[in-house]
Amino acid sequence: MSSSADTLVRGPAGGRAPHGLDTGRGRPDGVLGLRLALWLVCAGVVLLPLAVIVALGLSADRLQLLLQGDVLEAGRNSLVSALVSAAGAVAVGTALALLVERTDLRGRGALRLLALSPLLVPPFVGAIAWIGLAGPASTVNRAWTEATGGPLWVVYGGDGVVFLLVVHGFPVAYLVVAAALRRIPSDLEQAARTSGAGPWRTVRDVTLPLLRPAALSAFTLVAISNLADFGIPSIVGLPEGYVTLSTLVYRYLQSGTVDAPLEVVATIGMVLLALAVLGVLLDVVAGRSRWELEASATASAPVSLGRARALASTVTWVLVAGVTLLPLWALATQALLPAPGVPLTWDNLTLDSLTRALTAPTTVTGLQNSLWLSLLAGVVCAAVGLAIATLVTRTRSRDNGALRAVAMLPQAIPGLVIAVGWLVLAPRIGLFNTPWLILAAYVTAFVALVVQTVSAPLRATPLTAEEAARVAGASRLRAFVDVSARMALPAATTGGVLVVLTAVRELTISALLLSPGSQTLGVAIFNLQQAGAYNAASALSLLVTIVGLAGARLAARQAA
Amino acid sequence: MVATADDATITLYTSEPQEKIDAVVAAFNEEHPEITVEVFRAGTGDLTARIESERTNGAVQADVLLAADAATFEGYKGEDLLAPYTPTEADAINPDVLDPDGFYVGTRIIPTVIAYNTTMVDEPPTSWQDLTDPQYAGKITMPNPDVSGAAAYNAAVWTSTPALGDQWLQDLAANEPVIAESNGPVAQAVASGTQPVGVVVDYLVRDLAAAGSPIAVSYPSEGVPFVAQPAGIFADSDEPEASATFIDFLVGKTGQELAVEQSYLPVRGDVGTPEGAPAMDDLAVLNPPLEEVSATKDAAVARFDELFS
Repeated sequence: MSSSADTLVRGPAGGRAPHGLDTGRGRPDGVLGLRLALWLVCAGVVLLPLAVIVALGLSADRLQLLLQGDVLEAGRNSLVSALVSAAGAVAVGTALALLVERTDLRGRGALRLLALSPLLVPPFVGAIAWIGLAGPASTVNRAWTEATGGPLWVVYGGDGVVFLLVVHGFPVAYLVVAAALRRIPSDLEQAARTSGAGPWRTVRDVTLPLLRPAALSAFTLVAISNLADFGIPSIVGLPEGYVTLSTLVYRYLQSGTVDAPLEVVATIGMVLLALAVLGVLLDVVAGRSRWELEASATASAPVSLGRARALASTVTWVLVAGVTLLPLWALATQALLPAPGVPLTWDNLTLDSLTRALTAPTTVTGLQNSLWLSLLAGVVCAAVGLAIATLVTRTRSRDNGALRAVAMLPQAIPGLVIAVGWLVLAPRIGLFNTPWLILAAYVTAFVALVVQTVSAPLRATPLTAEEAARVAGASRLRAFVDVSARMALPAATTGGVLVVLTAVRELTISALLLSPGSQTLGVAIFNLQQAGAYNAASALSLLVTIVGLAGARLAARQAA
Repeated sequence: MVATADDATITLYTSEPQEKIDAVVAAFNEEHPEITVEVFRAGTGDLTARIESERTNGAVQADVLLAADAATFEGYKGEDLLAPYTPTEADAINPDVLDPDGFYVGTRIIPTVIAYNTTMVDEPPTSWQDLTDPQYAGKITMPNPDVSGAAAYNAAVWTSTPALGDQWLQDLAANEPVIAESNGPVAQAVASGTQPVGVVVDYLVRDLAAAGSPIAVSYPSEGVPFVAQPAGIFADSDEPEASATFIDFLVGKTGQELAVEQSYLPVRGDVGTPEGAPAMDDLAVLNPPLEEVSATKDAAVARFDELFS
């Protein structure tokens, strides 16, 4: 009541100085209210479960555990594989974004879609597919061994982990960089070209420097989420004894030979949390040196690759198709065969695995639960992420860095550790054995995806639009909602779709938090695999991938 | 309808494969429609974590636990989490799997055996000793005892078996087996030929062979270590009688016939064995006393890690 009166009194001609959105700091208004609300949300879904992990980790004085040889080694492996793979993913993602978004490469629309497909294959399924392609007894390696006496390249071990992390990480880098690329006005590049710079020089001296904030943002995002990845290191790392912190956590929880596994898991979770804090701090520091560009109205004309077009198209297609279609092919053949090891012939093809996967009573429940849980998580994360990212990039306040950091932290923590936090918390807040618990954990785990996707493009956009709105008399909140948030909406939608695609096949969180008689899709796939129904598991994964491709198309179009 | 029976709902925590436990519950409900069974299926480790979280917050939410091995149940028994119950037909049950104190009972014999790919291996290994033959160098895969409770148990049994022991472990390590995460990936690797020979639980092999995979099982002549997937009732249970009825069904004749149908070796002698498995009397087992295994397990797993990584 009183607030509407306030608005009337202050009115449009409030007469405040038009200094962008940073005026009126400390005065209670809508933006401040929003800021408080966001802090409350973050406290509830991020700080609380993380605090539980820290409390649990410290409770039993297990800090000496962290100095044990295997924990140190796992920590080193985690750090190295996350950093190297993030650098690789950003390099690949940026190169691909430049080629697809800025040149006349052939078949760009299809490439864009194809490049997103690794996002949709659950990493543990992708890893299994890659073992079929590059395992010690794969066709290629067997033939190579016969010819030369040794295998060509075996995916097991640290190099395989890094390779697969790059394969599963570059689509995210691509999305973030491509979104930023579209905001770089073509005027600058055109100016460089008219002044006589060649296309390569233009890319090197104009485009790439302007992409640096987005590339850095993508690097942090990929690095900290790779830190938490479980499926890849567990399937291709463990056979060679390459242990990371997230597989170590799993080992401690699964073996049943460790006393007080929850505390041990929480202690290691603290280490990952510390690494995450470090990564986020770097990102915040990097985010400070921002610059702004006037958005251009004219779309950039694709750079002609000239004589290199055919070659560049072929090479790009072969590489992208190789890393994306080969595992899908492996998945598809498994889905259509009755059991592993059955030779691939027309006579052996069957829809039995597909039928078995789809008619299992648990699949239907799992599908329903995963769909509504992931859609809700997508919506909640998109809304919260949009608000946080917009607030911290479009307004000025001391606590911006902190708010952003808090939202980003859970990204580096394995789902398993987040699940332990919520599991311990659940009975105290009355969420035990309810699906809301999984939803809450999904929001904790995935909100960073949206924050990162939204802040990258916003950082490079000037505040002039908001300033214009304020000059025209809009309140801070009004300018924020109508200008800043609206501008961020496409990126938030992309982020939301990413969340849905990640959550719909998520495994480690729901495996621990499900209530009896319930199910999610990731757990259904995992259960089929545990039951020896590998081909039914592949069939279900394939379906998820196909449905996900439709979603990715949406993401790609939103990003476009 | 059974007039005297009261409607009851029990919650079951289990590591049984989903399809199998669904079939068990369906068969149970044919005999006992008045008892509803809510199933929470997860890996043994996830179950352990869940149970621990529940007890630190009050009471265990499940009525029946059907999972893992005797050692896990010994642990819970020692912490007074289990209610005593001896199955009605205890006399018909293999004494090896009955807890002498009457807190839990094994429901299947799950031995670890040698599996091989029939298109790639002509003469299968027939003993644990055979696996140390250099011809199998780089061709073997086995589960990780750090992750799989059954594999940890096996490591302890092998080391404490005089005919095998530490020397055998060393010789096996010389063949550089690929250490997979758990039994599932091992069976899959053998069936698809990634590694043509595997050390794995027997029922997975029979399931795959039935589905058409080129895989077969060989029961090593020295004997096989086994776990018994015990069942027990939690002391916190509000439905001890319905829970007891469920366990009686699991180890009763119908339940065990179903177990055999599901490729498991049974815990009683009057229900036969799955196709391709030896009769229970002919099955050589390695079954050292539980205390001995518990006492040596940590050291055995540490030794395994040292040799195989």
